[in-house]
Amino acid sequence: MLNTFIYWLTQKRWLVFAIIVGILMYNISAPAGLSIEGYRTLIIVVMAIILIIFEPIPLPAVAMMILIMQVLLGIDTPNGVAKSFMSDAVFFIMGSLMLAVAIISQGLDSRLALGIIKLTGNKTWKIVIGFIAISAFLSSFIGEHTVTAMMMPVGLTLIKNSGVDNRSTAKLAGLILFSIAYGSAMGSIGTPSGGGRNVIMLGYMKEFGVVNISYLQWMKYAYPILLLEIPLAALILWYTFKPSQLILDSAVRKLKIHVTKRGSVSGNEILTILIFVFVFLGWVFFSSKVGLGIIALIGVFLYMSFGLIRWEDLNRNTNWGVIILFGAAVSLGLHMKDTGAAFWVADTAINWMKMISDDVSIIRWFVAVVLTGLLTNLLSNAATVAVIGPIVLNMGGDTLVMGFSTAIASAFAYLTVVASPTCMIIHSSGLVDKSDYLRAGWKMFIMSVFVLFFISNFW
Amino acid sequence: MKFLIAVGSKEFSEPTLRVGLQVAKAFKAAVTIVYAGPKISEFSTSQVRFTQERMEEWEFDRPGVEVLEWAFNFLAENDYITPTSIEAGFPKNTLVQTGGNRCEVYLQGTICKDVNLILRNGDIIAELRDEVRRGGYDVTIIGGSQKRRMAHDLIQYINSSIFVVNKYDQHQDYNLLLPVDDSTHTPKAVQYGARVAQAFDVKVNLITVSKTDSFGEGYTKASQLASKMMRRAGIAHEHRFETGDPVDVIKKTAGDNHIVVMGASTKNPLFKFFTGSKPLKVMEDCLCPILIVK
Repeated sequence: MLNTFIYWLTQKRWLVFAIIVGILMYNISAPAGLSIEGYRTLIIVVMAIILIIFEPIPLPAVAMMILIMQVLLGIDTPNGVAKSFMSDAVFFIMGSLMLAVAIISQGLDSRLALGIIKLTGNKTWKIVIGFIAISAFLSSFIGEHTVTAMMMPVGLTLIKNSGVDNRSTAKLAGLILFSIAYGSAMGSIGTPSGGGRNVIMLGYMKEFGVVNISYLQWMKYAYPILLLEIPLAALILWYTFKPSQLILDSAVRKLKIHVTKRGSVSGNEILTILIFVFVFLGWVFFSSKVGLGIIALIGVFLYMSFGLIRWEDLNRNTNWGVIILFGAAVSLGLHMKDTGAAFWVADTAINWMKMISDDVSIIRWFVAVVLTGLLTNLLSNAATVAVIGPIVLNMGGDTLVMGFSTAIASAFAYLTVVASPTCMIIHSSGLVDKSDYLRAGWKMFIMSVFVLFFISNFW
Repeated sequence: MKFLIAVGSKEFSEPTLRVGLQVAKAFKAAVTIVYAGPKISEFSTSQVRFTQERMEEWEFDRPGVEVLEWAFNFLAENDYITPTSIEAGFPKNTLVQTGGNRCEVYLQGTICKDVNLILRNGDIIAELRDEVRRGGYDVTIIGGSQKRRMAHDLIQYINSSIFVVNKYDQHQDYNLLLPVDDSTHTPKAVQYGARVAQAFDVKVNLITVSKTDSFGEGYTKASQLASKMMRRAGIAHEHRFETGDPVDVIKKTAGDNHIVVMGASTKNPLFKFFTGSKPLKVMEDCLCPILIVK
């Protein structure tokens, strides 16, 4: 019995720590200039961050804790909390996760494989650039993990047919798998629909009265970053995981044979693509009126109506826990704004920065971007934007640039396995080690920060 | 009896599997071989599972299946499973999902009664603890780890005897070292030691260590009983009384050419958590396989 309790305590030590921190903070009076409600909101933020990073309890339990505490600590009424929980951003996250399931289920990965090989040929360096570019391009529209899931079998076919054992293909595996994961992560900044956190940030910008950015305007700002990052990422990955196999002749041949077995394009595959094009056009032309989330849900509705995906499959493969958590995180973010907690944190941060220099414009930008980038590697990108977004938009300066840069920086999920589902998917192949993420990731991180800085200031 | 053998990879787990099956054979135990893959973050569980399902359509096995397949081949080569099972080949298609992160496949054993193969994902200690709780295993067998914390957690949290197959070399001649004292677990350790000695056909070195020059009545009785049991089982053995710190003496005597079998500590779990125990200290620095009997 005592041993079971000790075991529980060691497994749940971060939960116990979070509770102790919460109780201690609750018993300290609120700092000057911060309302009681604002201070209590910050207590929930601190506890939630600890629990999300260390995962001592299931993520939906963290979400429930956030919602419960917002009511019990008197931050908002039950109806107020419920209203803030569901938004277009949450609809979008739910819709895009379901769209991903619908698209991946159709087996379009084979078509994709053939397309890539036709474009790149059999030289390894060309294949790597092709993988990064195509992953980036696709993920800017359909979400990073969808692309990674489709590209993984293609990449693995090349890796497994390129050497006699895992040791001889270790570097090639790192090169190809990180091309997919990092390409997808980079691409997710390309359009608002590339990731849930883009939509969360757009929602916050609307709340803060910042000028409304259309789908195409976002692309105009974000795509140059993406186009600059693609060749730089290819260089970084090539020199980090330089493989001994410079030509993948037999692997490419085997991939072609595998793909040819699938036969010609089926009606369902054509319909899948057509519906997605329809959804994409909806995002471009109607998202400012009906919202990105509703359009994503229209797509899901169409996939189900045409019988392309069954509800059972959607239900089984959609990560409901993540949706609930992001809903709660957005609710927390909105309460940070409403209670003045976000403003207080931003103001305190700016005052600290002023100790370094009176002109904080560049420091402010770097702090926002680097902090977002680092937190995204620990917390997940959407949760990071949900928590950091309201603070950054209160930091002053050009709120459009600050908000946009924060959303972009949340894609710098290169450093850890848990940074994003794309990183976890390639890790689950068993072919890349945890240390490989840092090996390539820190270079990618620095490169991305400087590209973003360059575009933010000169575009 | 039921044995659980934890394997990690084809490259490093062969000694664990070899020794584990040899011991299981001596005990005529049912054997389960488990592979625990890395923990998947909750943010990504659905996406990872879905991707793995896609990969199966491209005829790629999910990670860990190749380790189980290697274990199957090992069992087949060493005749631990029936010819029918061997002829049918590794039944990867019958890997049954029996929980969120657990799959299993059943095989018919020859010398050991049943042989199950299990694939899990998650923290190794949590997964082994859950598996032991679920299957009621008597002994958990695992390879050595360089993480000191691992030894502590295995002894503290796994509710079965623990056999750590540390630095085992099948070409080396081993003896069995059996520390004997008046603790509660010693009689069971002596029984297990006798079986292991028979399995490996090795001589048993019984050792009783006291911090002072005098050996109490409990110590003498325990050592007499142990000698008697070895004699009855027809196992070659010798007995020594040593003075000094038990942990140091046991480690020094064990060297790298003994299989150590000793009883678990009966200390309060809270004391064990903070101050450790003799078996833990021996296990942490031992250069040879060690079985801690609970």
